[in-house]
Amino acid sequence: MWPLLSCAIADAFIILKKKPAMTDAFILGLSSGSACLATCGMVLFPYLMAGSAGVRRITIDLSLFLITRLLVYFILATIAWYFGQVFFSNPVVRNIVPGILYIVFAVMLVWYSIGKSRNPECPAKIVSTVNNHKLIPIFLGIVNSFGFCPALFIILTKSATQGTIVQSYLAFLAFFIGSTIWFLPLPLAGKVRKKEVLKTIGLLATGLAGIIFMIKGITNLIGGIING
Amino acid sequence: MDNVLKIAGTKKSFGKSLLYTLPMFLITFMFMTGGKPDFSDLSSALSILVAFLLVNVLYFLMHFTGKTDRYRVVLFIIFALTLSFTLIKNMIAVRNSMSFSQADILECKIPFCHLVIPMMILPAAFSKSIIFPGSILNGFANISSMLVLWGVATLVLGRGFCSWGCFYGGWDDGFSRMRKKPLLKNINVIWKWMPFAVLLMVALTAALSLVPTYCDWICPFKAVTEFEQVTSVESAAKAGVFFSLFAGLVVVLPAMTKKRTQCSFLCPMGAINTVSNKITPFTIKIDKNACTECFKCVEVCPMYALSKENIKEGKVSIFCSKCGKCVDACSKNAIHFGIKGIPAGTLKNFSRNLFLFVSFLFMAVFSAGSIISTLHSLLKIIF
Repeated sequence: MWPLLSCAIADAFIILKKKPAMTDAFILGLSSGSACLATCGMVLFPYLMAGSAGVRRITIDLSLFLITRLLVYFILATIAWYFGQVFFSNPVVRNIVPGILYIVFAVMLVWYSIGKSRNPECPAKIVSTVNNHKLIPIFLGIVNSFGFCPALFIILTKSATQGTIVQSYLAFLAFFIGSTIWFLPLPLAGKVRKKEVLKTIGLLATGLAGIIFMIKGITNLIGGIING
Repeated sequence: MDNVLKIAGTKKSFGKSLLYTLPMFLITFMFMTGGKPDFSDLSSALSILVAFLLVNVLYFLMHFTGKTDRYRVVLFIIFALTLSFTLIKNMIAVRNSMSFSQADILECKIPFCHLVIPMMILPAAFSKSIIFPGSILNGFANISSMLVLWGVATLVLGRGFCSWGCFYGGWDDGFSRMRKKPLLKNINVIWKWMPFAVLLMVALTAALSLVPTYCDWICPFKAVTEFEQVTSVESAAKAGVFFSLFAGLVVVLPAMTKKRTQCSFLCPMGAINTVSNKITPFTIKIDKNACTECFKCVEVCPMYALSKENIKEGKVSIFCSKCGKCVDACSKNAIHFGIKGIPAGTLKNFSRNLFLFVSFLFMAVFSAGSIISTLHSLLKIIF
């Protein structure tokens, strides 16, 4: 089992190494996923688990939730790529605007992770208006994906600047995989002893991702200005 | 017996201190001279003699005065300064510059330091590759020797490595002592979890990009060792990050807070060493019977390892680097070096002697090379 898993992970590393946009998106997803879980996990958890008849039901609900998220992300990738083609066709704009957007969204991401005035409420809270239990995971998936956080703005910018629509999808796919890792152990959330510590580390990691993208934005912007 | 020790504190008589220093005297002599002292080159002999006297006098004073941190920090700062001097001197001798080129990377000529270790684990496990462009066995600061040194020190000292073995720690430890009183006091302790977030990010980014991202983008100590030649906007941004972090976290914040902010809020190695504190035999213990809850120890702790709640519970947190500052500050000898399994308040002197011997010996032996090399270079410049 271990050699197979090891080979699979090694192959994934090789693929990501060849596609830096995917690497960035995966890291962003992974770092912001923890913050997303920190704010939404406690809302998602009871709805996903409430009234469930065991592991099978939980797995189906969680799968529906994740598939919905992925589908919404692909729709967003298509829209972002289309807008990128329309608005970033001028090379000067293509070099400078994404840099500025990166900086703005990265600052928002840092503020989101450490700011005291950050709204801790999950947008998925309105799920209580849905009565049909079977639809709840799908509804949660949609609301969670559209919960426009700074990390999603960054990935939208990245997606808009990709050369082809497939690259745009791949960037969102990597973002989805990175953030999904945090949702997988959700059924075991009740058993984790040091939730506060994990939440703190997750939020700080999100802030760090913001700083990384801020530096990337500044580098892109200066590079764009120098290269005309 | 133990009552006698409690009253006497950790001070020793001149003769007893000398006796305790004797093993250190012999071992450091063997390490520094290789058992065959060579007096043919006067500057070499003089630099060895000065380094030898320095470490042994400091160790003697630790026993004679009963103070630990006061003398530890002298060698710790000298270690940091001389290592940077030696490294820069070596870089200039080999490359004629503090910066390295792409050719140096391709030829694996970059000196290795322990801060790379957290980034090596995932790529080594999954892609069987070492992602650092250094020599595995040969040359200055090679990978295998640093791995062994760090591994052994961490197993024995835990986060004590950060105060007794890290050759960078002396920088912010030194700057944290520049003012008598802190200008900034109320720093949210949430930041002490930051090294774990940095560790998570650098381990992942390094695994995904197969580049040691901490060294490539973050390490503040690049400012006093070596860094990539500035040839592009990206390399200029990296140099900007190195110098800004060095100025902010190693110089300004430690001076303003009297805390080791780089070690407490950034270093990913510190996160690993913090976890390793769980398995090491040495620890700091609080004797609740002797403690008057004056909280002087909380005030002086440079690593945010002590809080009032910790003292009331009689437990030191896992962030402790065993620097001994709290032990020196406690007039009641209530907080002391201890060994896991032995109750707080008992065998205080035995625990301290054992810990000091192991930790100081490690620092003395580890730092000897750079101290001797620096002294040798300075003597050559002077004469």
